Amino acid sequence: MTISSNENSASLRAQIQQCLVESGNYEAISNELTERLLKDGWVDEVKKLAREEISQEDSPNFSKALSQIEPQALDLVQQSTKDAIMRKITAFLEEIVETE
Amino acid sequence: MTEQHETIQSVTDGIYNNLVTSMIHSIVSKETAREKLLRSRYGSYKQYHYDPNSQLDIHGNPKQQDSSQYFYCENCGREVSGNRFAAHLQRCLTRGSRR
Repeated sequence: MTISSNENSASLRAQIQQCLVESGNYEAISNELTERLLKDGWVDEVKKLAREEISQEDSPNFSKALSQIEPQALDLVQQSTKDAIMRKITAFLEEIVETE
Repeated sequence: MTEQHETIQSVTDGIYNNLVTSMIHSIVSKETAREKLLRSRYGSYKQYHYDPNSQLDIHGNPKQQDSSQYFYCENCGREVSGNRFAAHLQRCLTRGSRR
């Protein structure tokens, strides 16, 4: 599998995603991420953030609230959690992808 | 060697971002839906009162003295002080059953 151009990169990502899902790894990784985020208290923090954001607005609007919360929520993920998940994905990718 | 636009790192980043953002989406959408439902059901509802000194309850009221509250006793038809109610029942019910 060679990675060469931008047109291919989208389909490559789709292929990798498909591969992850079919091997059952996607579910495993997703479950682990969910579990870790719950344990870290990240889920509750994001909920709190969302609640504060939404209650300030006159009319609750999903996309508006999301644009406010998303960057903060991404930053809130603990480094150890992020590293562990990234390592898992990388390990799987290294098995199935050839790099030049 | 062909020019690399995608590295393992960039694909990993993409997958990780997909996972996390989809979780954020689901949390935010749940919270928005909840808020919308509450507002449509109760109009402008009030938040539970929060007292940092933990003296006031969720309505912002201080604790009422037990002795200042009276309960109506169905058995004997009298008003009994709240903190004496159990003691009252003990006597009131045994007397009632003897009757």
